[in-house]
Amino acid sequence: MTNIVVLVKQVPDTYSERKLAAGDNTLDREAADAVLDEINERAIEEALVIKEANEGEVTVVCVGPDRANDAIRKALSMGADKAVHVSDEALHGADILQTSKVLAKAVGTVEGVDLIIAGNEASDGRGGAVPAVLAELLGLPQLTHARKVTVEGGTVKVERETADEGITHLEASLPALISVNEKINEPRYPSFKGIMAAKKKPVEKLTAADLGLDGEVGLANAASTVLESAPKPPREAGQRVDDEGDGGVKVAEYLASQKLI
Amino acid sequence: MLEWSDTEALVQRTIREFVDKEIRPQVDALEHGELAPYEVLRKLFSSFGLDVAAREATEASIASQREREAAGAAAEATSDAGASTSSQEKPVKGGLFGPAGAGQEAMGLIAVTELCRVCPGLVAALGVSLGLAAGTVNARGTAAQRARWGAELATLDKIGAWAITEPDSGSDAFGGMQTTVRKQGDGYVLNGQKTFITNGPFADIVVVYAKLDDGTTDRRRRPVLTFVLDSGMPGFTQSRPLRKMGIHSSPTGELFFDDVYLEPERLLGSATAGAEGKDSARSNFATERVGVAAMALGIIEECLARCVDYANNRKLWGQPIADFQLVQLKLAKMEVARMNVQNLVYRVVETMRAERTSSLAEASAMKLYSSQAATEVALEAVQLFGGNGYMAEYRVEQLARDAKSLEIYAGSNEIQVTHIARGLLAN
Repeated sequence: MTNIVVLVKQVPDTYSERKLAAGDNTLDREAADAVLDEINERAIEEALVIKEANEGEVTVVCVGPDRANDAIRKALSMGADKAVHVSDEALHGADILQTSKVLAKAVGTVEGVDLIIAGNEASDGRGGAVPAVLAELLGLPQLTHARKVTVEGGTVKVERETADEGITHLEASLPALISVNEKINEPRYPSFKGIMAAKKKPVEKLTAADLGLDGEVGLANAASTVLESAPKPPREAGQRVDDEGDGGVKVAEYLASQKLI
Repeated sequence: MLEWSDTEALVQRTIREFVDKEIRPQVDALEHGELAPYEVLRKLFSSFGLDVAAREATEASIASQREREAAGAAAEATSDAGASTSSQEKPVKGGLFGPAGAGQEAMGLIAVTELCRVCPGLVAALGVSLGLAAGTVNARGTAAQRARWGAELATLDKIGAWAITEPDSGSDAFGGMQTTVRKQGDGYVLNGQKTFITNGPFADIVVVYAKLDDGTTDRRRRPVLTFVLDSGMPGFTQSRPLRKMGIHSSPTGELFFDDVYLEPERLLGSATAGAEGKDSARSNFATERVGVAAMALGIIEECLARCVDYANNRKLWGQPIADFQLVQLKLAKMEVARMNVQNLVYRVVETMRAERTSSLAEASAMKLYSSQAATEVALEAVQLFGGNGYMAEYRVEQLARDAKSLEIYAGSNEIQVTHIARGLLAN
């Protein structure tokens, strides 16, 4: 029996134009279609696989505006059992530290949590720090960047993969927090039955005040501030190499100068 | 009804996601015949749990039909008046998403629309196997026949074809039908030929309509019987796919019957119900025609979305072509068509929710309008894209070729006119 919390986030669809709001440099949510972040789908899939093998309950925890309900519903239709949704205007502009605090409190409302599963980084902010901060706040072992997860009895084993260190094998006793990377699995589609069933699954709505965080969160209290932002500069024209019989040499010289060969 | 409910919208998004991920990247392989549609359709079914749902629904329905048949047989044994209509009491409704009801009426139509945005041929292959072949066997068959053929058709484990059209009898399907069966012992012997049969080349199970040759009745008035054939039966030949103008991802072929012996169990329905083959076929016409509205909507939505995007991004004389009023006129007309056809689809859902069925005249009117709208929109999309539109890469030419089939299949549009008129003039 493994009770699992999965952290989910609604993000701008990567196919849309993503930008920051002109006034306060926070995410312009109206500018783009919103979707459940793909890495979260993988986190849910992993939770469901573990639940199917060990039994237990999967709870989705989400911090986001009301429309994030769509992302929660998708998670529930994939097979998660219930959800906690923290939605509050006061959270507008919350940074990584605040979001992690809110998540820690929200996770605290779920009873008997054995395992927390998060994506390794969201596709919008790409901070990638929330799993680590949250584990620290909750005093849990963190097993991040997992490409493979095994839960046996009271132990979780993880194959951790990073660009710098390659593959590392980690092990911890439960309760623990893991974050997964995009190699972890292929998420299932919500079944038709799951979509119909999701309507009836409980979603607990909470505010910052419910979690005892009133007045501590939001843009005004954030530890980090976005001062300015600029669109990605257009790509510059490439360097043209005319082949006068020495094209191969020139290409090789260029690649060598860039330390690519 | 003005828009889809939250649940319907979630189904729509989920299917769209499947289509974008699993079908769009494969559409060339599907269109060129390198990839058969059936594996993609089976993946659609298994991904959404539709195979399991269909299996459970069909098995439960067959079990209750067995009970009714047993009760009917017992009643017949005690009363001479027992007409054997027991198997006809409750035809199974629904299709793609199992039994209809409980707010699920729209789901099949949503799926059809989403698939048609990219690959209408997939819908033709799916619709014929599930709607026509499985639909006919499960609505008309005895419990034994449904257990033998209907269950595996409902889950797509087996692929079905539905054969009525012949080289010399398209719109005049019943009158001009040349395929015959004659009695031989307890069974029948089938001879003839069918053409333009969707899934014909690869179908595992084929529902075939044939005229009973009793040697006396006038050829045009002979009763039409419905049989179920299995691929590989002696004397039964399935052709290779025919080359077509569009819907290339749906294999279409000819079927040949050369003294095919049919055991009596292959006559669909109970023995006394056999003569109602015409009713069996006709009841499918309305369903098929209503489905065309959902198909047309997919084509129109995709063409419009692509055209808006192209008009905004394609620049001529230093400005987006969206600035030109002749381009705006095309877009505006497409939007009018989209709204009208979307409203027809909503109307179909409302009709189902009111537990009514669309009349043949009503279904024919929807089919006539929506197929014309889809064809016009798709051809205008090709025009709006200019030279690019004529190129396969920009996809609208495929949709234009596919849309044209909607004006011809499920009864040519000329036939739709006569059915609409007949409905108007009957009173």
